[in-house]
Amino acid sequence: MSRSITLGQYLPGNSYVHRLNPRLKILALLLLLVLLFSLNSFAGLFSLLAMALLLLFSARIPFRYFLKGLRPILYIVIFALIIYLFFTKGGVVLLRIGSFTIESEGVREGFFVITRLITLIIFSLLVTLTTTPLSLTHGMSFFMKPLSKIGLPTDEVAMIMAIALRFIPTLMEESQRLMRAQVSRGADFETGSIFRRAQNLVPLIVPLFVSAFRRADDLALAMEARGYRLGAKRTRLHVDKVLPADLGTLIFVIILIAAAFYFKL
Amino acid sequence: MSIRTEKLTHIYMPGTPFAAEALNEVTFEIKKGRVALLIGPSGSGKSTLIQHLNGLLKPTSGQVYFDDQSIQSSKAELLRLRRKIGLVFQMPEEQFFSETVFDEVAFAPRNLGLTDESLAESVYNALNRVGLNAEEFKDRHPFNLSSGQKRLVAIAAVLSIKPEVLILDEPTAGLDPAGRQKLFNLLADLNSNEAITILISTHHFDEVVTLADQVMVLKDGRLVMDGPRDQVFNNREKLESLGLALPSVTELMQDIAAAGFQVKTGIYNLEEARREIGRMKERQF
Amino acid sequence: MVKKPEIIIEAKALEFNYPGDSLNRSSAINGIDMTVNRGEYLAIIGPNGSGKTTLLKLFNALLAPSGGEVLVEGISTVDHEKVPLIRRSCGMIFQNPDNQLVATTVEEDIAFGLENLALPSAEIRQRVTEVAQRLHLDKLLLHPPHLLSGGEKQRVAIAGILAMQPRCILMDEPTAMLDPSGRREVLDTVKALNREEGIAIIHVTHFPEEAAHADRVLVLNQGEVVEDGPAEIILTDLEMLHSYNLQGTAVVELAALLRQDGFNLPTRILHNRELVNSLCQYERKS
Repeated sequence: MSRSITLGQYLPGNSYVHRLNPRLKILALLLLLVLLFSLNSFAGLFSLLAMALLLLFSARIPFRYFLKGLRPILYIVIFALIIYLFFTKGGVVLLRIGSFTIESEGVREGFFVITRLITLIIFSLLVTLTTTPLSLTHGMSFFMKPLSKIGLPTDEVAMIMAIALRFIPTLMEESQRLMRAQVSRGADFETGSIFRRAQNLVPLIVPLFVSAFRRADDLALAMEARGYRLGAKRTRLHVDKVLPADLGTLIFVIILIAAAFYFKL
Repeated sequence: MSIRTEKLTHIYMPGTPFAAEALNEVTFEIKKGRVALLIGPSGSGKSTLIQHLNGLLKPTSGQVYFDDQSIQSSKAELLRLRRKIGLVFQMPEEQFFSETVFDEVAFAPRNLGLTDESLAESVYNALNRVGLNAEEFKDRHPFNLSSGQKRLVAIAAVLSIKPEVLILDEPTAGLDPAGRQKLFNLLADLNSNEAITILISTHHFDEVVTLADQVMVLKDGRLVMDGPRDQVFNNREKLESLGLALPSVTELMQDIAAAGFQVKTGIYNLEEARREIGRMKERQF
Repeated sequence: MVKKPEIIIEAKALEFNYPGDSLNRSSAINGIDMTVNRGEYLAIIGPNGSGKTTLLKLFNALLAPSGGEVLVEGISTVDHEKVPLIRRSCGMIFQNPDNQLVATTVEEDIAFGLENLALPSAEIRQRVTEVAQRLHLDKLLLHPPHLLSGGEKQRVAIAGILAMQPRCILMDEPTAMLDPSGRREVLDTVKALNREEGIAIIHVTHFPEEAAHADRVLVLNQGEVVEDGPAEIILTDLEMLHSYNLQGTAVVELAALLRQDGFNLPTRILHNRELVNSLCQYERKS
């Protein structure tokens, strides 16, 4: 039931990747993506893929979670492969289908691109699977900080995201209960035309809105009572302390990039 | 004629790491025209059980029977069931969505296919039945009523399908003493004058316990006690070990009995208690 | 010389009207003078719409008085600059446990108020740990709130207030949505805080048996304080309670009926054992 609703894709754990500072994870991810897209050789690409798989393994992420994460981009991968196979010319002709040919350069390019895509996905999954949604939010708001100079309320945005994360399970539970309640009064959410079905949702949506507004009201009051003030300076229980491991990781990533450029990988 | 379950079991998300057993082989029967009380700590499975009795959930195993007919046998049977068994959820006024009391009360009968003339009639009857003057209330906005009136409208919205069984989850939650008293009178009246079978699931049973014939206790998804009211409430140790309290008057009478007085302890309201102590006075003092 | 009790909250000719809202008119406050002393356990009872919740919100500076004033430890609640001080010394627990927990884990929720005070992280961590131990929440620190029981949620809310090291906790029907064991959990917690740490409690409740835990009970009706006195006097005055559409506990109601039947019982019977004892003495006499 709703008890089991998990948010985001976070999988609890205590691995090296889990323990890294969330800001650093985001930064390292960005740097690695840049690196990934500047690599030109299979040697460089495969070393990065090997590293990604190693980290995935060390974070004890079950293989099916990884596959589940790949699923959304499966079509992109296949599509990219087909495009490259058929449209990149050069090298030896490997296969001829009617007027289409598959040439060796196309195979090379195609596999290069999908390996790059898969590596990219693994690194991104590494971050989302090992970081709680809340830490991610705070990590990202750190990088948005400079935007507060131009008047964007970045702290407030982070607070809004955190509250949304807190209330999604509650509201899911509530909509489930409401749906059952209206079904017991004979409501039908499953049959009829699209228009009919949309209309049938009124008994669900109106009470859900009423309740969401009441909750918002209550919550605003409770937050105010606990001393929350818009724009006031706040501290946090969790300081994202930068540990030697974090620094080490950052230096390692930078060395990787430098090496890749130096050896023209 | 009864509502009963046989080895009703419900597991949420079976076959996943999140699997949780909400009901475990629950078997009981409530005879027609009786009032049953369902008690148990939060999370003991009361809401799950109630929703099964209305066919809102599918059992993992086991059966629910209404008039000896399994309700899972067909979709038609399920719809028939929903016309016979009215379910009043916790805080039912939170389901309101209509702009008039009339539409709110008409929602269920409309869905279940009542024609316009008989619809108006059943709405009026239901409103009057709960003690709200239909003419006066039908055009009012359901959100603009007092909390007691809202609750009554919500109950009318279920009575409008003329159920034979009425199931209520925490019916008195959030009401003041006057509202509770009104609701109590309504339930007593529905049961005694229209022989409606009633099942009430609640933590606050001081009032409704006087109506109950049968008491069922659920704990961790298992039916741990089920029997006539006196039998269940006489077992104070067991109830307390389950984290449950006695009705306050019953507790008081048991305290008096424990001090060595010869009094009956299966007593649930003040007037009975008063008479019993009066009798005791004549016998003992 | 009698030491004068230290006053935590003082209301002077307090008035409040909800602006232009006819629905809420009944919850107005119409001239209240009262004080709450340090370390006191005060229960406030009254019919629906008598202004109980409004009064608590005025005490917590969530509402500004339309007339008169509220002083919390000598600070007026309209003193905008000092509102954070008021909120720190007087925390508030609300009825719906779900709608007052802000964070995605218990520990972050307990920390929320401290974060608002902009305390250093190390101090926040230390206070969260202490408070969690005090309220036996230490095993739940990393749980998300929606997986807690009602009683646990309310204890988390109390912990969040307690971490601010308050002088007083305001509670608006904190047990109304809980089961009996959750109610007991919350009441025991609050009583212990009152007895052991001298934190004043102002407890708005529907249940006379909960008010019986208080030292002092105040009856509110139509925005006015109509009764104010020790629990055993207020809660045993059935005639008065009934006149405001309030009930007594079962034992108080029964004792009154027995008196009508000619039992000569003492006037202040509030707990079961007192009735049982009186009946025992009765037996001995006759």
